[in-house]
Amino acid sequence: MTSTRAGQQELALETREISKHFGAVRAVDELSLVIPRQGTTSIVGPNGSGKSTLVNLLSGVLPLDGGMVIIDGQGLRVVKAHETPDHGLTRTFQEVRLFDQITVWDNIMVVLTERRLFPSLFERAKPSTRQKAQAILEQVGMWDKRDSLAQDLSYGQRKLVEIGRALAMNVNTYLMDEPFAGLFPQMIERVKDIMKQMRADGHTIVFISHNMEIVRELSDRIIVLDSGTLLAAGEVEPVLNSEEVIEAYLGA
Amino acid sequence: MSSQRETARGFPALFNIPGTRALALVLTAAVVAYLAWKIGQSPPQALQFAFNGIAVGAVYALLAMGFTLVYSTVWFFDLYYGAAAALGAYGVFYLRTSESLGSRADVNSVYVNAIFAAVVGGVVAWVLYTILHPRLRGRFSPNTIAVAIGLLGGAAGGYTGLVLAFPGILHLTLSPAIAASVAVLAVLVPYWAVQTFVPSIRLARFAAIAGLPAVAVGAWCGYLTAGAPGAGLYLSWAVSCLLAGCVGLALYRGLYVYMRERARSPLIMLVASLGILLAIAAFIVIVFEAAPRPLPTAFGSETWKIAGARIKGFNVFGIGVALAGFAILWLLLKQTSFGRAVRAIGDDEEVSKVVGINTTVIIAAVFFIGSMYAALAGILTGHDTAVQPRMGLLLLLKGWIASVVGGIGNLYGAIVGGFVLGVVEQFGIWDLAGEWKDAIAFILLILFLSFWPQGLLPRR
Amino acid sequence: MPFDTQRIGELAGLMRNPGELARHTRRNIEFWASLLILGWAIAFMFWQGAGFAVIIGTVFAIWAILSVSLNLVVGFTGLLSVGHIGFFGIGAYTMAILTSDPAYEQLRTEAIPTFGWPFFAVLPICAVLAGLAAILVGVVFNRFRDDIFVLASFGFAIIAFNVFLNLRPVTRGAFGIHEIARPQVGGWYFDGELEFLLLCLVFLAVVMLISWFIVSSSFGRVLTAIREDEQAIEVFGYRATQYKLAVWVISAMMAGIAGGLFASWTTFIDPNSFILLESVLLVSIVILGGLATIWGSLLGAMAFVLLEEGMRFIPFLPTEYIGQARQVVLGILLVLLMLFRPQGLVGRYRL
Repeated sequence: MTSTRAGQQELALETREISKHFGAVRAVDELSLVIPRQGTTSIVGPNGSGKSTLVNLLSGVLPLDGGMVIIDGQGLRVVKAHETPDHGLTRTFQEVRLFDQITVWDNIMVVLTERRLFPSLFERAKPSTRQKAQAILEQVGMWDKRDSLAQDLSYGQRKLVEIGRALAMNVNTYLMDEPFAGLFPQMIERVKDIMKQMRADGHTIVFISHNMEIVRELSDRIIVLDSGTLLAAGEVEPVLNSEEVIEAYLGA
Repeated sequence: MSSQRETARGFPALFNIPGTRALALVLTAAVVAYLAWKIGQSPPQALQFAFNGIAVGAVYALLAMGFTLVYSTVWFFDLYYGAAAALGAYGVFYLRTSESLGSRADVNSVYVNAIFAAVVGGVVAWVLYTILHPRLRGRFSPNTIAVAIGLLGGAAGGYTGLVLAFPGILHLTLSPAIAASVAVLAVLVPYWAVQTFVPSIRLARFAAIAGLPAVAVGAWCGYLTAGAPGAGLYLSWAVSCLLAGCVGLALYRGLYVYMRERARSPLIMLVASLGILLAIAAFIVIVFEAAPRPLPTAFGSETWKIAGARIKGFNVFGIGVALAGFAILWLLLKQTSFGRAVRAIGDDEEVSKVVGINTTVIIAAVFFIGSMYAALAGILTGHDTAVQPRMGLLLLLKGWIASVVGGIGNLYGAIVGGFVLGVVEQFGIWDLAGEWKDAIAFILLILFLSFWPQGLLPRR
Repeated sequence: MPFDTQRIGELAGLMRNPGELARHTRRNIEFWASLLILGWAIAFMFWQGAGFAVIIGTVFAIWAILSVSLNLVVGFTGLLSVGHIGFFGIGAYTMAILTSDPAYEQLRTEAIPTFGWPFFAVLPICAVLAGLAAILVGVVFNRFRDDIFVLASFGFAIIAFNVFLNLRPVTRGAFGIHEIARPQVGGWYFDGELEFLLLCLVFLAVVMLISWFIVSSSFGRVLTAIREDEQAIEVFGYRATQYKLAVWVISAMMAGIAGGLFASWTTFIDPNSFILLESVLLVSIVILGGLATIWGSLLGAMAFVLLEEGMRFIPFLPTEYIGQARQVVLGILLVLLMLFRPQGLVGRYRL
């Protein structure tokens, strides 16, 4: 409850000196950054620089060791995973985590249905929900595969379903952990189109990528991490051309 | 595989009330204080409980050591482990029926003997194959090797069948085996000792020097055994431990290897081994009937009196066995390359494979050793109380609890956890009937899982 | 799914084309397994006659209620519980104690509290008490997963058995409770085996309906998602722990009902009916029949009950070892299933 109304308008996410240690390793070290509302922000950095850990901390998958996350104007010292949708936040996973042994259709439906325990017992799939799920599956091009089990899909298809599942949440902010890793060029184009569409719809996208071409193409702003600390942030070209970033990447 | 080790941590409980841990600590402290008060009231009785606890704890420690060895290598719960305890105990009963039941009819059965002969034959053939095949590959044709190994395996199986078929003369049937193994050990142990000082020495050269005396020592040991009919009981311990170990190894090599290639989760392995446990326990009932049976009296039936409390000689022996078992496992795991390989596999099996560790052989050995520890614990329990076809599951669970209490994957934790579990069980029933002690063991387990999931001594 | 119209349509289409049907069914283990077990059941009924079939049918119905309820937890939610027999026992003891007849109990040596309540008033209490126990256990167990959960549930089964055995003032320990009343409505007394079978089948149908209602709702879909990835479903706004607790309690209540029926049917219970082994057998039934299908649990219970009768065909097998031989077969079946068919005969979820 620290941020002001004005801040709520401008910032989707803010972190204040958040930390996460794994044993002696400081994966995220007193990191403070801001992610403005709307537009696309990319997070880049060498391997082990804490990108995925940062996303896990923001989405409540890992508990914070210290610091505070401000989501949608609310200051949180403990981010609970099941409350993140209420704060207008959802995510995809680096190692695609679909619900493997249920169908693609159910994978989408499950995020569209009732969250409260008791009403969900009495809820059957409503036509409006079905339409939403169909729209999502068509948007990501997986409508034909709706009856396959998620585990039977190819890697690229799984990524698409996972993005579709995040889209179905229909929230403000999307954290996407390496949405392009391991995809064929054709699939990359498809994911790019989806992300551009999301951006055009006024959503906030935060994504991690190693592919600088895609980063240049998609992002409005960029955040560079190195060993769990903020190296640089701001407009894409100036940041990517700055000396320290080049140094960090070339490992000089 | 790392996620499996964190199963107990992971997610917060439903009512993750901030004070629960403190409350648990306070309650535990209260129980401990109450017990301390009771101990102050009647120290001799407390000492008695402590003795009983340590005596039972020795068995639990043995179970926990074998269990934690297997679990922290392959990271699934092998319930055959419980069946191994029952097999060990019933092996002794099978071989010493006439001593246990007096002149009653013998349970010796051709079918049982044949099954175990086949298992041992297969295991020996596989071991020979893995040792010899890479060395002989270039020199002999594959057919020759296969026939030779088949013959040797068959001979081992036949010998096992012979030993099992005539349990009354174990001292005679086993004396050649003892002579041979003592002779081999008499070469190998000095060789390893010498090797630490003279690394360049070759085994063949050493054997040429030490071979003759070793054979003489072996023959002398065999002669001694053959002349000692009273050694039958202790020989039957060794035989049934080895048999349980062989079955464990055979299960791993013949079943678990294939299953682990396909298994999505450790639960598949757990359920499959549950099936094995069910089948073996029912098989034991078919062969031996369901009623509890006594094992023949070993030594140490006299009770010793120390400061007003009694302890049976055999229980002291059991504690000694547990400590010896710990020492052997410590030497194996902490001082040899085998131990380093075991730990590497436990950390990451794929990487160990890549760096050239023969994981199948190492894990098979782990299963063999683990099953032997279980069988030994079963035998100790059998002598202390009685053998029962269903004893395996409860012993397995006790070993499992002890290793959780001590810290899964930690050898020191296993022995500490075993004794702690034994003592807690005994003190827990101070004010209750003795039948509650299984419930107390599990309450201890659930407390540990909830509040100290890493156990007393975490793995590294 | 029991009411899978698309599948029935497919099969109807196949019926018209014998060659295709043969090829289709050869591959279709589910179909053949179901046909075999059902055929076996029908053959058994004709062979043994109605009288014995009614008794076997009641045993089947009680096992089926248990396995359908356990499948909610094991198959749909992915929590491999080996402690279900504890809730069954709580139901049975509740029924035994609350219906016990004061006039009869006074004659016994160790007195237990007597109430003499009617069967149909007690049956809901069986469910409620089992449910309350499940809340207590579930709150503690909610944080465990995978094999640790299995171990903890072993613990619950053993603690429950210890309580039944040692809480003498209430359960009379190893002596057990005798002369448990059969249900009675007005003047109609369910003392015949057939009436009781029908009663059990009615409850089985109710339990199946409730289970079907649960698994076909949004709630059921969330359960399967929890089974697949508990952490991911939390990120999408569900409190997985609450869902797990809810299904755990519902399942336990069903087991409590089964326990009440069981106590009233046998009219005598002692702790030996609730040993860990029974629980292990129950889990085997659920896995054998098929995980995450209601039909599978019925099939598993049927196969389990009939297995014992099928054993009588084996030559040289003394009758007293049939129960043991069944366990050997069941154990080997489990191993084979885990190797080749980890979802069970007609399952929808591979362990």
